Amino acid sequence: MSAGVEDAMNAMNHGSYRDTLFVEETEVLSHEAFPGDQYLLRLWSPECARRARPGQFVHITCDPALPLRRPLSLMRANPRESWIEILYKAVGEGTRLLARRKPGDRISSIGPIGQPFQVHPERPRPLLIGGGVGMPPMVFLADRLRQTPGMPSGMPSGAAPGSAPGEVLGTVPGSAPGAAPSTAPGTAPGRVTAWSPLVILGSEVPFPFRAQPSQFIVPGLPPAVIAAMPLLDDWGIPSRLASLQGYPGCFQGYVTDLARSWLQTLDAAALAEVEVFACGPHPMLAAVAALARDFDLPCQVSLEEFMACGVGGCAGCVVEVKTPEGPAMKRVCVDGPVFDARMVF
Amino acid sequence: MTVDSNLDPRLSVDFCGLNFATPLVLLSGCVGFGEEYTRIHGFSNRQAGAVCLKGTTLSPRLGNAPHRICETPGGMINAIGLQNPGVDRVIRDILPTLDFSETRFIANVSGSSIEEYYEVTRRFDDSPIDAIEINISCPNVKEGGVAFGNDVRMSAQVVAACRRATRKPLITKLSPNQTDIAANARACLEAGADAFAAINTLMGMAIDIEQRMPVIGNNQGGLSGPAIKPIALLKVHQIYQVCRDHGIPIIGQGGIASAVDALEFLIAGASAVGIGTALFYDPLILTQINQGILDYLDRHDLANVAQITGSLCLHGPSLPACGCESA
Ligand SMILES: Cc1cc2nc3c(=O)[nH]c(=O)nc-3n(C[C@H](O)[C@H](O)[C@H](O)COP(=O)(O)O)c2cc1C
Ligand code: FES
Repeated sequence: MSAGVEDAMNAMNHGSYRDTLFVEETEVLSHEAFPGDQYLLRLWSPECARRARPGQFVHITCDPALPLRRPLSLMRANPRESWIEILYKAVGEGTRLLARRKPGDRISSIGPIGQPFQVHPERPRPLLIGGGVGMPPMVFLADRLRQTPGMPSGMPSGAAPGSAPGEVLGTVPGSAPGAAPSTAPGTAPGRVTAWSPLVILGSEVPFPFRAQPSQFIVPGLPPAVIAAMPLLDDWGIPSRLASLQGYPGCFQGYVTDLARSWLQTLDAAALAEVEVFACGPHPMLAAVAALARDFDLPCQVSLEEFMACGVGGCAGCVVEVKTPEGPAMKRVCVDGPVFDARMVF
Repeated sequence: MTVDSNLDPRLSVDFCGLNFATPLVLLSGCVGFGEEYTRIHGFSNRQAGAVCLKGTTLSPRLGNAPHRICETPGGMINAIGLQNPGVDRVIRDILPTLDFSETRFIANVSGSSIEEYYEVTRRFDDSPIDAIEINISCPNVKEGGVAFGNDVRMSAQVVAACRRATRKPLITKLSPNQTDIAANARACLEAGADAFAAINTLMGMAIDIEQRMPVIGNNQGGLSGPAIKPIALLKVHQIYQVCRDHGIPIIGQGGIASAVDALEFLIAGASAVGIGTALFYDPLILTQINQGILDYLDRHDLANVAQITGSLCLHGPSLPACGCESA
């Protein structure tokens, strides 16, 4: 169907995801449980692993006894090793049954589905905010940012003055020249990574990883807020954790409060390079959208809704969005899940 | 236009003078406007004898507020609310993009007045669409839909109006939310229906006990999927009693999720069978059901699908045409 037809179906002028989708009989490679009913599932899924992009999801059969599949966001995809990884919380019947699946089990998966996040070279300081089950897409985006070497234009304008290309990776937006742009471990020497992301993750149940003190100093953030996600640290990407539960090293408060305190320390030039990406519960996304509006930043949010087909056929998963022509109903599965925050909030 | 199918010719059925390459029909509301599933690797509209497009009204409709769907035991409830861009945009922007050599495309018409049903049908009459299905059984709109479909006189009036608007095959989609579906079928047949589709969804509700609110934004919705299959089978059998002697075909539907299910409907009297909710679980199910039907033909030494239609052998005296005494 042409883009024009999509518009007709939705009375909108915004594209939808049109790439080929694969139905794969995947195999459970590993399935790990974490406190708070959280599970990390790795599936052998070569077609999806090859094509998946951050923000996309798979629509999987949790159990043959259930009439519908469940959409689950991708946290990682490894094309070389043909696996995809999903972090989920067992909240309903489907995910509770999924939690019983063992290595070697087969699970049917449709994917990869949905509009991915779009990063923009002129905004090389992505601020990634993930809350609860909204963390996985942020990890995926961070993973891909670190793997995207350089940009056509070479160095981002926001690189700390005087920093060598190889150091840019560790440079946190807002860091003073020479402050602490440490080079990430495992980074190939001389490799130019244009992006300087900061990841803020929030959770009200224990984080599904062992938080550790970050090796990166992020100016503008309270010095006591030091807990980070180890995987991101290993990738050379600074992260911070927030929770109301008083976990050690975590910011005591909302992800948006922490993000705001950091944004307030940036000057106009640095702010002009920030773009916000968020996934999490609806109230959190509303707060992130408001934050982005306050600082006049572009913001993309990834939404969730109950899904039946997951491929655009039933219009069961819609969200109401604002368009120049008035309100419209967009399908979260193929018109999203990633939307411009201004359309939704 | 003719459909060039690569399916076994024994699967093909005649439906109101249209040739369907297989009795399998993709159901309205489950496959958008015919193209959404085609980007799934391994899926092809050619595996279906016909594809019913999403319910279409005169003006564009935004549809209902979320949540629009929820899973229930053995099925799901939906209340989409007929989201569609309006008949003119369907004809102008969507039909030209469909490949009519793949399958037959059937429009699905809805309205909140008899005039609207007439007008939408009239506009589709002047389009390449192969057939027109009148949906007088949508449970998810405030006016029209099931409100018409549960009233025998109103149903017949809608059919008569649409009949005046088109010479294309006219399929009436009947509601199971009524006591005497056979009486309704008889009235619609007399009003000019060429075929029937049955059943549409059954009205139902799901409740979130924490919020003490219905899960569905529209409060209630239509139940589909395997949970409704036994009800659908009986209704198809009852409608078939009315249709049999008139050569009026039925698209049997409601919870079909396997070749066995499809065969049950054919045996009960359907000439074609619809797949909706099952596609959500298995987008590649058509291939499997087509193959299962072929295997059955082989096993029972039958030449074609038409030989299965209505082949039910009842125990003892046959059931009355409908569940009520008057029949
Ligand atoms: C999400 C959804 C949307 C539907 N939309 C329509 C529609 O627009 N028009 C219509 O006549 N039937 C509609 N139906 C009913 C189906 O076409 C079909 O009659 C019914 O679901 C029973 O078949 P199934 O159990 O195989 O799904 C819809 C069903 C579902 C599940
Ligand atoms: S779930 Fe999105 S359109 Fe069906």
